[in-house]
Amino acid sequence: MNTTRALVPVAWGMLWIARAPLEHEMALHMAVQLPLLIGVGYMLATFLRPYEPRWFAESDWLGIPGLLLVVFATSFWMLPRMLDLALSEPWIDSAKFASLPLLAGLPLGSSWPRMPGLGRAFLWANFIPKLGAIGGLYLAAPTRLCAYYRLDQQAAAGIALIAVAIVLGTCWSVIVFVGSPPFWSRAGIRRQRARHEILEAGE
Amino acid sequence: MTGIEAVGSRSRINATAAVRAYLATCGIVLLLMMLLGLTMRLAQAQWIDVEPNLFYVVMTMHGAGMVGIAGLGGAAVMWHFVRRYVPVSTAIFVANLVFFLIGAALILGAGFIGGFAGAWTFLYPLPGHSGGLWSANGAAAYMAGLLVIGVGFLLLHLDIARGIISIYGGLGAGLGVKQAFGFAPEKDGPPPAVAAATMAAISNVIGIVVGAVVLILSLVNLYAPSFTFNTLAAKNLIYYFGHTFINVTIYMAVIAVYEILPVYTHRAWKTNRVFYLAWVLSTLMVLTVYPHHLLMDFAMPTSILVAGQIISWLSGLPVLLVTAFGALTNVYRSGLKWDAAAGLVFMGVAGWAIGIIPAVADGTIPVNSVMHNTQWVPGHFHTYLLLGMMAMMLGFMTYLAGPKSPSHLAPAGVWLYLIGGTTFVLAFLAAGSASVPRRYAVHLPAWLAYDRAGSIGASLAVAGALILIVRFLVSLRSPIDATP
Ligand code: HEM
Ligand SMILES: [Cu+2]
Repeated sequence: MNTTRALVPVAWGMLWIARAPLEHEMALHMAVQLPLLIGVGYMLATFLRPYEPRWFAESDWLGIPGLLLVVFATSFWMLPRMLDLALSEPWIDSAKFASLPLLAGLPLGSSWPRMPGLGRAFLWANFIPKLGAIGGLYLAAPTRLCAYYRLDQQAAAGIALIAVAIVLGTCWSVIVFVGSPPFWSRAGIRRQRARHEILEAGE
Repeated sequence: MTGIEAVGSRSRINATAAVRAYLATCGIVLLLMMLLGLTMRLAQAQWIDVEPNLFYVVMTMHGAGMVGIAGLGGAAVMWHFVRRYVPVSTAIFVANLVFFLIGAALILGAGFIGGFAGAWTFLYPLPGHSGGLWSANGAAAYMAGLLVIGVGFLLLHLDIARGIISIYGGLGAGLGVKQAFGFAPEKDGPPPAVAAATMAAISNVIGIVVGAVVLILSLVNLYAPSFTFNTLAAKNLIYYFGHTFINVTIYMAVIAVYEILPVYTHRAWKTNRVFYLAWVLSTLMVLTVYPHHLLMDFAMPTSILVAGQIISWLSGLPVLLVTAFGALTNVYRSGLKWDAAAGLVFMGVAGWAIGIIPAVADGTIPVNSVMHNTQWVPGHFHTYLLLGMMAMMLGFMTYLAGPKSPSHLAPAGVWLYLIGGTTFVLAFLAAGSASVPRRYAVHLPAWLAYDRAGSIGASLAVAGALILIVRFLVSLRSPIDATP
């Protein structure tokens, strides 16, 4: 148990050490470093869950406040200007290293389970096309959006974001289409029959 | 209350009251939008004077309003019937209506106050190039209105999808994929309403999300004109959204046919392998057919256009055929007693089927290069929207109003709607084959005969709809549990 908990600081530290190579390419910066930092916070949330005070869980109504925080924190660090500043000012980069895990990953991990299925679906349905759209913009923009990245790096980042959007979109579609348990399983058929019976009994 | 409803509705809002609110909104907006349509037709006929600038505002409002109300009416039909089979949230259903009303207010303000007249398709970069006719704020209000309406529909479809998954395990099962390919017995398949609602959810979630992307990009462009993007890409996204959304209205409304005709014929709607296969195929095709809107865009890759053309020929057909055939066999020798509701629903199937023929013709490249942007186009889509989709929705309205409300007038309403509507669409089609352009505020003298015939037909159709809708509104006085 303690060794798995150690993962959090280790991963955090390793990302800090790997800062230069990951930030060297815009695609790696956006599609690898930022998500991994959020992942660190998410992991932290799973370890902290048993210690979560009850008042905190209750005031996070349906997980909405937490996820709003996630949306703001992630949108903030997606701004090209912030990427630039993170490169030029070490203290801004430290702020990024602190805020993405603590203000995005941590609330994501703690609020996501509280969010009802419909809310999660709504967020996915907004997040995936948003990634694709931002990717499309980077790809299409005739000018450089960041001072520190070349036009070709920006285009590569665009492609990376679009690729992530396509992969996520495909996974999501397959999951909702096939369902769990798979609809050809006996459990699925049994559940469906039971539903038909309620229906007939009711009419 | 059936067992399902007891399990399904966790909310305190009465479901029937919510459906009634939807239909009352649809009825009133439909009438207003029909009057806007009539105004345009009368102006083209030169029987009234309408400033060309105002004509295009009216055209934009009529297009957006009608498409929105078709979506809302389809949603009412779908939700009313699908909640017999899967648990759905009444609160979300009502939320969609609220989003719709907010969005509609923004859109109407954009048009009649802001002067926005860029057509309901808001084709980029037109909203940002008004030539001084409307401001960036006007165009933005229009697009924001669409976004708000989109949020409501997205929530509604996701909620229904959630309900379907909770019963059937996955959307594939909701669509009847197993049955379609013969891997599961037909009798275990989903009821038609569930299959249709599944297809509507899949198509509209994808369509709306694509629409939201292009709307947001266009909004950014309005306020930061130096930020531009590829116009052809924008056109692809817009028609992906527009085509899907308007098509899905029919696939939602058709549930009225599956559920109402059997009440009259006392025969269950037969679902078999072919039925499920048709729905699977139409789901795939509705999402890939939109390039028929771009047949004139020479920069599009030819392969996509050819695929779009072939899919156009096929796309509507599977569901249309199983529905038309199913309706005929359901009715044939059933001894059903025709009344206004049954007649309207049946008319809906016929109007849909007949309207597809000129649409398919127009989806063919050699025909399209002649007919594109002639009144042939409003000719075909008014056939399946006015005489198809809206007839189904009016049938549902009449069915909900029940036999108690004044019924001697209802058949007159149906006949007026049918005869007037047919005259109106035939006038468009005839004008189209004589190469009268669409979207022209001012017509040449040689075109006036078509416009006048169309105006007369449109007036009759409005009168018919007025009778049916007023009858429905009057029926709202009766207590809720008196309705079927
Ligand atoms: C009495 C009923 C109606 C009348 C009189 C009417 C009239 C018209 C007219 C005159 C036009 C412009 C034609 C042109 O381009 O020259 C038009 C366009 C249109 N109508 Fe209707 N209409 C009616 C019903 C409907 C219905 C029921 C729907 C949809 C559910 C609908 C959807 C549209 C759309 C989407 C356009 C295209 C607007 C554009 O070109 O941007 N209409 N209608
Ligand atoms: Cu289309």
